[in-house]
Amino acid sequence: MTLTSKTSPVASPAPVGGLAQSRGTNPVLKLVSRIIDWPMAGLQRLIGERRMPYIFLLPNLVFFGLFVFVPIAINFVYSVTGGPALFPSERPYVGADQYAYLFECGSYVDPNSCREDHFWRGVYNTLFFSLFQVLAMVGLSLLTAVVLNMKIRGRGFFRAVYFFPVLLSPVVVALIWKWILQRDGLLNAAITGFGGDRILFLAEPGWAMFWAIFVSVWAHMGFYTLILLAGLQAIPADIYEAAEMDATPRWRVFWRLTLPLLWPNLIVVIVLSLIRAVQTFDEVFVLTGGGPGTSTLMVVQYIYETAFSNQVQNFGLAAAASVVLGIVLFALTLAQLAFTQRKSS
Amino acid sequence: MAELKLIDIKKSYGAATIIHGVDLAIEDGEFVVFVGPSGCGKSTLLRIIAGLEQVSGGEIRIDGQSVTNVPASDRGLAMVFQSYALYPHMSVYKNMAFALENMSLSRSEIDQRVRRAAQMLQLTDYLDRKPKALSGGQRQRVAIGRAIVRDPKIFLFDEPLSNLDAELRVATRKELAALHAEIGGTMIYVTHDQVEAMTLADRIVVLRAGRIEQVGTPLEVYNHPANLFVAGFIGSPRMNLLPARVAASGQVTIGNDTRTIPLPSTGQTASGASITLGARPEHIDVVDETQADLFITVNLVEQLGGETYLYGSAPGLPELTVRQDGQVRYDRNQKVGLRLKREALHLFDAGGQAIRIR
Ligand SMILES: Nc1ncnc2c1ncn2[C@@H]1O[C@H](COP(=O)(O)OP(=O)(O)OP(=O)(O)O)[C@@H](O)[C@H]1O
Ligand SMILES: [Mg+2]
Repeated sequence: MTLTSKTSPVASPAPVGGLAQSRGTNPVLKLVSRIIDWPMAGLQRLIGERRMPYIFLLPNLVFFGLFVFVPIAINFVYSVTGGPALFPSERPYVGADQYAYLFECGSYVDPNSCREDHFWRGVYNTLFFSLFQVLAMVGLSLLTAVVLNMKIRGRGFFRAVYFFPVLLSPVVVALIWKWILQRDGLLNAAITGFGGDRILFLAEPGWAMFWAIFVSVWAHMGFYTLILLAGLQAIPADIYEAAEMDATPRWRVFWRLTLPLLWPNLIVVIVLSLIRAVQTFDEVFVLTGGGPGTSTLMVVQYIYETAFSNQVQNFGLAAAASVVLGIVLFALTLAQLAFTQRKSS
Repeated sequence: MAELKLIDIKKSYGAATIIHGVDLAIEDGEFVVFVGPSGCGKSTLLRIIAGLEQVSGGEIRIDGQSVTNVPASDRGLAMVFQSYALYPHMSVYKNMAFALENMSLSRSEIDQRVRRAAQMLQLTDYLDRKPKALSGGQRQRVAIGRAIVRDPKIFLFDEPLSNLDAELRVATRKELAALHAEIGGTMIYVTHDQVEAMTLADRIVVLRAGRIEQVGTPLEVYNHPANLFVAGFIGSPRMNLLPARVAASGQVTIGNDTRTIPLPSTGQTASGASITLGARPEHIDVVDETQADLFITVNLVEQLGGETYLYGSAPGLPELTVRQDGQVRYDRNQKVGLRLKREALHLFDAGGQAIRIR
C-alpha cells in the first residue's frame, strides 16, 4: 500500500495504508502492518472511516464488559434478591430488603445498635483508617518528594529505594511486616534484647490500627512520591532563582510557590490515595485479619467474609454492601475527574 | 544605587574554566552592557554578580563591601531574567508585591510602590491578570516592574528583550533607556545584540571566551576597537578586515597590490611587516578608476531604501562590504573602484592588537 503521502497524514483522509509507511524503520512492525494492512483497509471501505475507531476499541471493550460491567450488573441483581442459592435464577426477589437490613440502626454513630454491627464497624474503621492513612500518605510522600528533589548525595539510589515497596505485592509486604511485628517477631526480639517488655503490636486494638496504617503507607508511598516528584520537577528552576533574588524566606518559598504550583499533583495524590484507602483489604487482612476482635475490620473485608467465608454465606447482603461502597467510590472518582479536568483546562 | 567592583573573578565547572579572571569597576548609576558572542560567559558573569553562582576565585565588592560569600537574597540586587521567571499563579500585582512582602513593608507602602511602578510601565490595567494572560512585551514589563519596586542597589538584566519581536524590541529598548534616565540606578545589562549595546550603554564591556576584550563608551569601542575581535564584533555590517603590509612608515599596501595608501602614521611597525587593515563599510567610497585604491567585482547589491550595501570580491581578499547612502544602482559582476577614507582606517598588528595611528 502506497496511498498516503508522508507529508500530509492528517490533512488528507488517510487510508489505512499509512500505517505501513509511518512504521517504515522497524522491520518487524513493517511486516506486522503489511499483514494487517489489507484486511483493515477492506474493513474501512466496508464500514466507513468514521466508524473505524470503534473497531479498534472493541477488543478492549469486550474484555472490560465481560469482567467489569457484567459483574457489576450481576452484583446488583444479587443485592435485590435473597436466600442462600448461588444462581441468580434460583434467588427470590426481595427488593430493597438487603439495603434496609444494612441500614437498620438504633443510632448510626453506634455500631452496636445496628442489626449488622460488623458492617458499621467496618465503615467506621475504614473512615478512621482512610483519614489518617491519607493524611500520613500525603504528608510523608510530600516530604519525601521534596527531599528527593534536592541536590543530595545518592539521590538516584534513594528514589529507587522509596519506590521499591510499590513493586511488591501488598500481601508480601504484609507478611514481611507481620514477621517483624508479631509476638515473637523481629521488633519484639530487639525490644527484649534491650531489656524492654514485649509489646503486642498486632493484638492490641490501638497498636493494630496504627500498624495497619503504617504498613499501608509504607507499601504505597513510593507511588505518590513519584507523582509529587514529577510535579516538583515540572516547576521551572528560574522561579526559585527569582524568589531567591526577591529575598524570600525558605518557608515562604514552600508555602507561596512550591505548594500552589504543586497543587494539581497534590489533588491527584489526595483523591487517588483516598480512593485506594477506602478499598483497603489485602495488606490489612494479611497483617491483622481484621483483629483483634473487629478493631481493624475494613468494609471490603466485611463484604468478603459475609459472602464467602462465614458459615452462612449471605451473597445478597454482601452485594448490597458492595453497591453502597461502589457509590462512595464513584463519587470520589467524579471528584477526582472534576479536579483534574479543571487543572487541564 | 551602588558601585560594583569585580576583582580577578574566575569560574570553573569541573575542569572547564568559563571565566578567566575578570577585573571591572562599575560606577554608581552607570549603565553597563556586557556583549559578546554566544557562550562567552555573559550570563555566567551576571549570575555571579547576582549571587546565583559561586565564584571559583576572586572577589566581588558592592559599595566597598565584599559580598563574595553573601547569598543572593542578601545582596539587595534585582534581576530580570531572559525567561522573565514570573510567578505563574500570581497576578501581576502579586508578582510585583511579592518581594516587598518579604521585606515586611506596610500594606499601604507596598500598594503605593506597586502602583507607581505599574504606572511607569503602563501596567495599571493589567494588575489583576495572571502572567499567562499577558503578551510577551507585557510580561517583560512585569519582570522589570518586579525589579523596580524593590529599589535595588543594582539592576541586572539577562537578555531581557530577546524574546520580543523586532518592533517591540526597539520600543522596549527606548523605554529602558528612559527608565534609566528616570530612576537612575546602576544597571548591568547582558545582550548579544550590539544595537542594544550601542544605544543603551554608558559603557560597553566586550567579552570573549571568559575574558574582557575591551571596556569603553560605545563610541570609543566603535571608533577605537582595541583588537581584531572587537573590530569584527562591534558594528553591523562587520568592519572589512583586509590583509595588508607596511610599505614604509606611514604607507601601507593591500593584499598583493602595489598601490600604496598613505596614513597619518603606522606607529612603530617595521616596514615589510604583515598587518591587518580595517575599514568600516561606511568608510569606503565608490570612485572612478583614477582615484581607486582597489577594485572589486560586485557579487550582490542590497537596496534598503535609505542606504545601499554593495558586496564584492577582489583577488586575494575576503569579500568586501561597502555602504552607500541613498539608492544607488549597480549590476552584478560590474567592476567598481573603491577608495578608503584615510582618516577612518584601523590597523592591527600580527597579534591582532590595534596600532594607534590617530
Ligand atoms: N552548569 C554548567 N556546567 C558546565 N558548563 C556550563 C554551565 N553553565 C554554563 N556553562 C558553560 O559556560 C559557558 C558560558 O555560558 P553562558 O551561559 O554564561 O554564556 P552566554 O555568554 O550567556 O551565552 P548566550 O549569549 O548564548 O546566553 C558556555 O560555554 C556554557 O556551556
Ligand atoms: Mg546567556
